[in-house]
Amino acid sequence: MRKARGIVRNLQQAGWYLPAGILLFLVFVYPVLRTLVLSFLHVNLESGFQPVFAGLSNFGRLVSDTRFYRSMQATLVFVSVSVLLEFVLGLALALALEQLKRSGRFFRTLLLIPWTLPTAIIAILWMWFFNDQYGAVNDLLLRLNVIEAPVAWLAQPRSAMAAIILADVWKAFPFVLIVLVAGIQAIPREMYEALEIDGGTYWHKFRYVTLPHLLPFIFVAVIFRIIQAFAVFDLVFVLTGGGPGGKTETISVYSYYTFLRYMDFGYGSALVLVLAGLLALIGWTLYTLLLRHYEPGR
Amino acid sequence: MLWIAAAFILSLRMPGANPEGALSVLMEPDGTGTWRMLIAQFEKENPDIPIQMVEGPPATNAREDLYAASFLSGKAGFDIVYCDVVWTAKFAAAGWLRDLTDRLSRQDLNDFLPQELEAGSYKGRVYRIPAFTDAGMLYYRKDLVESPPVTFDDLERQARQLQNGNRWGFLWQGKQYEGLTTVFLEILWGFGGEWIDAKTKQVYLDSREAVKALEFLKKTIGTISPPAVTSYIEEDTRTLFQAGRAVFLRNWPYVWTLVRESPVKDKVAFVPMVHAPEESSAATLGGWGFAVSETSSRVEDAWKFVKFITGTEQMKVMYERMGRIPSRRSLVPAEFVPIIEKARMRPAIPEYAQASDILQRWVSAALTGRPGCEEALKKAAEETRALLGHAK
Repeated sequence: MRKARGIVRNLQQAGWYLPAGILLFLVFVYPVLRTLVLSFLHVNLESGFQPVFAGLSNFGRLVSDTRFYRSMQATLVFVSVSVLLEFVLGLALALALEQLKRSGRFFRTLLLIPWTLPTAIIAILWMWFFNDQYGAVNDLLLRLNVIEAPVAWLAQPRSAMAAIILADVWKAFPFVLIVLVAGIQAIPREMYEALEIDGGTYWHKFRYVTLPHLLPFIFVAVIFRIIQAFAVFDLVFVLTGGGPGGKTETISVYSYYTFLRYMDFGYGSALVLVLAGLLALIGWTLYTLLLRHYEPGR
Repeated sequence: MLWIAAAFILSLRMPGANPEGALSVLMEPDGTGTWRMLIAQFEKENPDIPIQMVEGPPATNAREDLYAASFLSGKAGFDIVYCDVVWTAKFAAAGWLRDLTDRLSRQDLNDFLPQELEAGSYKGRVYRIPAFTDAGMLYYRKDLVESPPVTFDDLERQARQLQNGNRWGFLWQGKQYEGLTTVFLEILWGFGGEWIDAKTKQVYLDSREAVKALEFLKKTIGTISPPAVTSYIEEDTRTLFQAGRAVFLRNWPYVWTLVRESPVKDKVAFVPMVHAPEESSAATLGGWGFAVSETSSRVEDAWKFVKFITGTEQMKVMYERMGRIPSRRSLVPAEFVPIIEKARMRPAIPEYAQASDILQRWVSAALTGRPGCEEALKKAAEETRALLGHAK
């Protein structure tokens, strides 16, 4: 009798999870499973979109695909440089804003604006900034005598990558900033006061109070940025389309081309799965590095 | 609040799926209003066949992807396809276009430009009816140039002589995108080379002519063409040329309409693209047409529209209002005949998008640094052969 009532109660509880569960299944579990299945099939123009079992051949093709390695390389360069810059800039400005009393809030709002704009529009904006003839970037650098002649930013592989990174840093550092500002505000003031009484310097405060308390916030900000940066699409697509010479083509741009232009769904799925696996690995590594020793409330 | 949300959702119409039973077609942005005008005329003559035009993005590959996504998602697709020359093979191979061969009259078959008809065919069947044609050409400043160049050497020499601190010699489209393929092909053909034979699927990219063509393009950068040319698309080069900041410009016929309303309006003329001494000029064939979607439930109505919009009178309107060159022999304006005669098709193969991407990537890589021209073309040839299924 009691047992039966327990089951009923369990079912009732399960019922509350159902709507969210269905939603999650539709938008998360189903696409992942479908991608997984597709990666073991040939579904492409050649097969007339009829699924043909492919075994591991899609993954085998990946191993010898130089374009895959190049796009991976471009993605890694983009992610590491842009996330590092966003982190440094975000942290520095978060600490600086904390020093300002009343105007801090004003600047915080102002700095948040780039984050709220759609990336595709930002990309077009930066495309004009980087224009060799009429662009603001060249105009500024010429006036400051940093360069002698206009630079053709998007016309060379290295400067094109730098341009993409700069646009991304401009857009995304406010996210890091706002997360870290929230973290700093959550730190109890008494800890700083205690350190002051003991004669601690600013560096001591930062090293022994701010940084340890900020770790979980840094983890959240950085991991979010890494995941988003790995999937960078719109900035690259609009600014360079992957060029010049395919040297700014990121893995998501490559998989977009594979799906929609070459209509090779099996191989495209294999590409996406490798990307997802890599992200999971990076997330796990960062988690163990940053947060393993951190246990709040101790 | 809920009502507002509901009204908003209802007002968002999915492309293709519309309640009034109109036939849908995805088009370019209708800047001049010409398409809307022609559609209104058709609807007046055929009140029972309303047409819903969806204005898509200006970038053609973005519209190609939209069409692909809509066909792949199954039903509710577009009834009529506004189709670029290079999509036909892919879309037809995918089974998305209806075979229109038997619907064309003998008179039409004779009147349409043969290259345009061929570009609209796949495996001998016609899927796309041409509406207007495009071909690359060389614009020049007739106030500066005494006699227009014929060979690559002429072009280089004149560009060097006539350029100055405020004016570049030669503008072309060098960004890694479809435009680069079209420019490179004109140079390649002008040197007597070839890219892919669509029938035998032979690849000729590692030939000596191809290396010469790429070396010619590379040499222009920083000497007669601006260093930023490897980031330029059509409009970047047109605006510079119109501002009087270049002697030569490689571009499409649409520039002719616009340049005559610009500061250099009486100072511009055009000739076919230059070539090597023993060879002849070539132009990359572009152009747009209309096709009927395989998924459309109203094939007869859709065909009526396609027949109307590719008719003689409509083509005249497109030329007058948009500067688009009619794809009927009887209508091509005399000054464009020498250009159109030189027009050559890009290979009509289902793998076109991928083949073009391989070419663009390696040409762009060689133009902006490493590897060298010969090495890049060798790699491009290898990859293209692997793609077309005969790896060597």
